[in-house]
Amino acid sequence: MSYTIPMGPYHPGLEEPYKLDMICEGETVRDAKLHIGFNFRGIEHLAETRNHVQVIALMERVCGICSNIHTLTLCQAMEKLTGLTPPPRAKYIRVIMAELERLHSHVLWAGIAAKLMGFKTMFMTCFALREQVMDLLQAISGNRVNYSMNRIGGVNRDIEDPQALLRMVDALEKEMLRTVIPIFTTSTTAISRCAGVGVLTHEKALSLGVVGPVARASGVGQDLRKAAPYAAYEEMEFEVPVQPAGDVTARLLVRALEIMESCKILRQALTKLPPGELNAGESKISFTTGTATARVEAPRGEVIYSVSWKEGSQKPARVHVRTPTFVNMPAIRFMVQEARLADTPLIQASIDPCYSCTDR
Amino acid sequence: MSLIDTIPEELGVANSWTETGGVLWLTPGPLSVRDLAKTMNMVQARFITITAVELPGEEGFRLEYHWDLDGTLLGFPFTIALGQPIDSIYDLCEAVDWIEREIHEGYAIDFAGRVYDPLLLREGQKLGVNLRKEAE
Repeated sequence: MSYTIPMGPYHPGLEEPYKLDMICEGETVRDAKLHIGFNFRGIEHLAETRNHVQVIALMERVCGICSNIHTLTLCQAMEKLTGLTPPPRAKYIRVIMAELERLHSHVLWAGIAAKLMGFKTMFMTCFALREQVMDLLQAISGNRVNYSMNRIGGVNRDIEDPQALLRMVDALEKEMLRTVIPIFTTSTTAISRCAGVGVLTHEKALSLGVVGPVARASGVGQDLRKAAPYAAYEEMEFEVPVQPAGDVTARLLVRALEIMESCKILRQALTKLPPGELNAGESKISFTTGTATARVEAPRGEVIYSVSWKEGSQKPARVHVRTPTFVNMPAIRFMVQEARLADTPLIQASIDPCYSCTDR
Repeated sequence: MSLIDTIPEELGVANSWTETGGVLWLTPGPLSVRDLAKTMNMVQARFITITAVELPGEEGFRLEYHWDLDGTLLGFPFTIALGQPIDSIYDLCEAVDWIEREIHEGYAIDFAGRVYDPLLLREGQKLGVNLRKEAE
């Protein structure tokens, strides 16, 4: 006999509200149905009522974790409509901010995953590490969450002491290598909760068009930083970690390895930070009529912004945002099929979902 | 000749690619969106999204379909008149499910040939409220 167990929209196993109705037989989940929309704020519609300065502040609030990525993608799209090109130093600062945000996001996710595994000590360790990344972001921008770093044609603030940041990156990397990565990859607690759990096959990952670490953990080696480089990524040397297994362990490994690659990118960008201006220095910005699209590899995967503008207008005609969780979330249904009910909080968390991004 | 260059011929479209705003656009003319989806499947392009844009006055809507092919963003614009449906490609491309549902709810556009479960709206709520201008 089958029965339905609802998880959410408000549930201790979920960081934000959404609902998963699981159709179970005994302790086994046979199928699931997802319900979103509990965080809908009408942001795309609101964007049509904001000017080119206000819309940046608005889109920074799409997500509380990858806020910088949203303004970066939006500004890159608007730069195509204004013809403004960020100077080299601004492109490097954009890379530094994006990689710090990736570190912050991945370490936060590792903490939440540890908590859901029943590994509270690791949760505390990850959140202590996350604090170090937050300190770095605050040192650069003055803010812990919405950094207000991006503007059309460049960035708003400089990185004045790259050497100090390098020392903090070294300390962070050392701690990751000493504690987080060995424990996540060798601890029996972590392995027993994650190995073979919540599998998304390579074929299903391709069919659903999943992105980011979820795709790379199912053997799909796509990363926009390599495939369609933006900012200064073309000048950075790094690897794209790919794991074939498609289970929670693979998603954990991909993110752990990406933390190390982010440290590698940060070291290069901070060492080679070129001198020069922070932005194109235009006091008056004018838009041409048309649609421009920009894509960026956010911590959770590809973000795409499509911005339409009419020449002479103060406001965009349309801003469409496709976030990574929007395409990754449908995969949860397939990951939980035939899983144990007790594993479902960890499985849904393993895609690192962001419901506020998804709902907008 | 790259794979991208073969697509217009494969689709039987006389137009050629034009690059604007970071997208390689191809106007598909009278081609159906289902034929386009079949061709995109054949060349193993990755579906990304559909952007719906409400046109001024009574002109209807423009739906911009995007796929990625080896890091290149491809765009195919389709215009539909007010009240007219467009074929769903959900049976050809599983990844399109949520965005078709979102556009259906946001703009009250019907994707013919599929059934919808509520996505951002709850059961029975009015379509077109979130994004359509006339609903203001």
